[in-house]
Amino acid sequence: MMIKKNKLTSPLFREDADRKSVERKLRFLEKIRKHPTFSFAIFALVLVLMQVLSKAGLVSSSFVTAIGTTVIFCIVALGFCLLLGYSALASLGTAGFIGIGAYSAYYCLVEWDLSIGIAFIVAILAAFVIGIIVGYISLRIEGIYLAIVTLGVAQIIKEVLSAICDTIKIKGSQLTLFGVETMKLKTDHVFYILIAILFVLMVITQNLMNSPTGRAMLAMKNSTSAAQAFGISLLRYRLLAFIISIIYASVAGLLYMMYVRYVSNSSSTLFTLSTSLNILGAVIIGGTKSIWGTIGGTFIIYGIDKMFLQDIDFFRENPTLITLFCGILVVVVVMFYPGGLAQLVMELKYKLTKLSKKIREARYGKDLG
Amino acid sequence: MQQIFAYLQILVGVIPSMCAGILATFAVTLIFKTSYTTNFAQGVISAIGAYVAVEYALVHGYPLWATAIAGIVVAFLIGIVIDVFVFRNGRFVNVLGKQIITMGLISIFIGLIPFVFKLAHYESVPAMPFIRLTDGFRIGGDNGVFIQYNTILALGITLILLVAVFILLQKSKWGLSVRATASNETVAGMMGINTKVITAVSWGIAGAFGAVAAIIYIGNVTLASGYVMTTTQINAFLAGILGGFATFYGPIFGAVIIYLLNVVIGCVCIHVPILSNWKSAIVYLIVMLLVLWKPQGLFGKKMVKKV
Amino acid sequence: MAKILDKLLPNSTERILKLRQSLDWVQVEIDALEEKYQTLKNKEIKKFTDKANKALVPSAYKACDKAEYADNVLGEKLQAYDVKNYLKHRAANHKAAKEIFKAIKEGSDYSSALEVLSRSNAAMLEKRDAFVAKLELEKEKFLKSNNSSDNATYESLSKDYILKYEAFRNALDEKYGTMHEAEKAKLEAKAEILQKKIDTEKAKGTSEKTLDDDVILSVKGLKMYFGGLRAVDDLSFDVKKGEIFGLIGPNGAGKTTVFNCITQFYKPTAGELLFTTKDGETITLTDYKVHDIVLKGIARTFQNVEVVKEVSVLDNLLIAATRNYSSSLLVQMLHLPKLKREEKIIRARADKILKYMDLYAYRDRLAWGLPYGVLKRIEIARALMCNPQLVILDEPAAGLNESETHALAEMINKIRVDFDCTVLLVEHDMGLVMSVCDHICAISFGKKLACGTPAEVQSSKEVQEAYLGVGEE
Repeated sequence: MMIKKNKLTSPLFREDADRKSVERKLRFLEKIRKHPTFSFAIFALVLVLMQVLSKAGLVSSSFVTAIGTTVIFCIVALGFCLLLGYSALASLGTAGFIGIGAYSAYYCLVEWDLSIGIAFIVAILAAFVIGIIVGYISLRIEGIYLAIVTLGVAQIIKEVLSAICDTIKIKGSQLTLFGVETMKLKTDHVFYILIAILFVLMVITQNLMNSPTGRAMLAMKNSTSAAQAFGISLLRYRLLAFIISIIYASVAGLLYMMYVRYVSNSSSTLFTLSTSLNILGAVIIGGTKSIWGTIGGTFIIYGIDKMFLQDIDFFRENPTLITLFCGILVVVVVMFYPGGLAQLVMELKYKLTKLSKKIREARYGKDLG
Repeated sequence: MQQIFAYLQILVGVIPSMCAGILATFAVTLIFKTSYTTNFAQGVISAIGAYVAVEYALVHGYPLWATAIAGIVVAFLIGIVIDVFVFRNGRFVNVLGKQIITMGLISIFIGLIPFVFKLAHYESVPAMPFIRLTDGFRIGGDNGVFIQYNTILALGITLILLVAVFILLQKSKWGLSVRATASNETVAGMMGINTKVITAVSWGIAGAFGAVAAIIYIGNVTLASGYVMTTTQINAFLAGILGGFATFYGPIFGAVIIYLLNVVIGCVCIHVPILSNWKSAIVYLIVMLLVLWKPQGLFGKKMVKKV
Repeated sequence: MAKILDKLLPNSTERILKLRQSLDWVQVEIDALEEKYQTLKNKEIKKFTDKANKALVPSAYKACDKAEYADNVLGEKLQAYDVKNYLKHRAANHKAAKEIFKAIKEGSDYSSALEVLSRSNAAMLEKRDAFVAKLELEKEKFLKSNNSSDNATYESLSKDYILKYEAFRNALDEKYGTMHEAEKAKLEAKAEILQKKIDTEKAKGTSEKTLDDDVILSVKGLKMYFGGLRAVDDLSFDVKKGEIFGLIGPNGAGKTTVFNCITQFYKPTAGELLFTTKDGETITLTDYKVHDIVLKGIARTFQNVEVVKEVSVLDNLLIAATRNYSSSLLVQMLHLPKLKREEKIIRARADKILKYMDLYAYRDRLAWGLPYGVLKRIEIARALMCNPQLVILDEPAAGLNESETHALAEMINKIRVDFDCTVLLVEHDMGLVMSVCDHICAISFGKKLACGTPAEVQSSKEVQEAYLGVGEE
């Protein structure tokens, strides 16, 4: 029996027990608060709030549209983060795979008159098949070849797609949930879907990063021979990362068609190399290994441009300025600050705690307690 | 006969692009071998060289030969600057990092072009002033093969450059140093070769070759844009994979094969017009199948990695 | 095309590997059942005792030594009060002292500031005294509140509870025992099915090669040519089960190449590599891909330490166990309970090995920037993580000082016994090799010079020549 006579709980026993239960609850709350999913949820809620505010007329609708578009690119960047930060592979075919998703949406919804769910499946399957073929051929040789081969694939996808059908457009009446006529999806409904998908993908990516798969990818990135010696098949994991990244891109392309509903291949830059480079830039600037960094980087590259700079004449007249800015940031970050935005934030946090400690010391004297 | 002439016409039409492709391939290979990275900015650097040539000839009215040389020199200098100021200073840069830096450089140059040059993106560039595109001669009567002077000039320049550079690589001290650096940079450095100079000069030469390629190509397609060399660039990289980066001559043969494949598919498309949308896709697929069959490239050697 | 298809689809050996993996996992789960039910039981027991404690407190409270108890509790309260007021008081003092210093510096009158200081000190002490007085009152009240209470009630009550507790334990054991048995039987049935599948798969397989019972690894006529360079030329040796086998030779003799051939990093030009697995089956290593070798029970370390520097030391060990997870990608994406269960088991094993290798202090540190000796230990720990039959150490003593080398020698001996494995090592440090190894094979320029016990090899003339050069006579 555990009870001993002299080791007694105090007469404040009740109080003690209450405190303990409160502490337990607090610990539980703390655990939830510290859980990465919690911050993702908060982020999603803030984005949803924007839409609500815009309905109330507090935020301009173009601002919300800019956020929606940026969120789509965030999804692409999340996949790219897994590819670049965890498997040390670079792909230049992102734009092409966004194109695959967009065209799957167009053909499924408009030409073949199918439902959105099937469009999702088609987009994912198409990306999967192309990814397996491209990935298997290029990754079998060496990781460095992936960028070359995907660059070519993207170019060809663009050429073929624009030759088949240059302008793709979805009418509002063609976008219904479960094929029911009355459940038409308006742009703001699609916005909520976007946020929901972003949230789910963030959680999935986070889970993957903290799973054996994520660790295997990191091992492969650091030392291929050590990875192989411990049973990690290079081809398998590289292929996996590549396929995940292009499925994200394809889904993003589909969502783009649902949200923006119009792409003209010859006049838009969506399916060109510059999109791939911007996504790469976003991930590099954000810090290749961090989800928050990736989101932040995308908001820097796409968000700031679309949300604020488009209102300023100077930036509207010189659209390449943002490209130049992105390029310089990429080179500088890779050369001198490989941790990117994520590292910057972390260092700032560290400095802030140090500073607050110093202030405390200045106020109360040096050694505490 | 008519049919054969049609085929030949396609072949002749591809030659300028092929010349540009071969030169670009050599440039890519040179950088791959000396710096072990795939230089994605190669196309943009070449485009800038071509921009200098075209802009100063068309807008400011200088003679084209002078502006062409100026363009080549500019590309040479850009190459050296990139190596000296960017590549050599990266503290944490690994193979992937180098690749990414070259990707970042694309963005930088693309962003810079509209500020530096007056010729905007995708503006039609008139044919070279002293060799008009329409000028040429026919072989085999009125319906025969039309050969432009432009094509012959491009072919001539390419052949001269290639022969010169291969002789240099084989016989000169520079060539020996490049080959030594390519096979093992550390050892080459220990043997007293100044590898820094070698890589810098290689970057410069690659830039210059690219500029020549771009001038030939722009003269052919009469279109100027920062992305104008993208297709050539992709073909050059594919040629590298197809021929195998292990040798200098492999990628060149790879480039020739790719452009000849283009010709063959082009000929097939005359009969099966439905394929014409898929032309480059088919070429690409064939190249990929070849690579699947020979992962190290047609002329490549199997390299054993040290553990 | 058929060749490509062949490569894409899993062949017989891979299928067996896959089955074996799931079988291993079932075994692990069976082993883990005990612990699982123990923790479940412990949880219920804790619940029970907590309840008992709560119920017993009033009577125990009556039965205890009042004065001592009150002193303890109230003393604690006073202490808490002091700690709380310390900071406040200190801050006030600091401010006053600053003013005094300022006044002294300026030469002005500081008596008023001094007064403030002393006044605040006095006020603080007064407050404390008041608090102490309050505590005294509380104590008195507490002491008065009990009349003579009996120990007997408490004794009987607690005895009662002890009896209840026994009954509870028995019921618990019975309940979980049956559940345990049922689950175990289920898993064992699963294991049996898997074993049968493996057997049928094996029956389809190729001809059996056999090795002597006590030989674990046999290298026969191994040749490895790099172009014209003969790195290893016609090398043969046998490694016996449970021994420490050393491979020595001058620089560039091809020792590491031999290792790389055994672990399939290089595909040998010619020769046979036979290995006896855990269940006594003899396999040809060249049939397997480099990343499947570890599943057969061969783990290695690297000459230039290849620790993953971006992750923590614990994660480095988990990386070595990547193939031990049986969770599918979907399970990993959603972090389903199955993955959590596996993580728990594998993490526990990693912790055990970290403690064994004296690395537990570094558990959550990034591998980046750890001392060289620690990195070497991490490498060995990582190799042990794969439950190896044969551990291949590539120059484990390189870069270590004398005492570290000595410790390493002891560790290698210990590992062999504790983990029941065979050790094959390449080493330059002659002292280590001669003191640790049971058998040694000396090679030079890819050719075998001598093989045998350390004494035999030392006395061999060829070995002396290779190391010291041919004497001029």
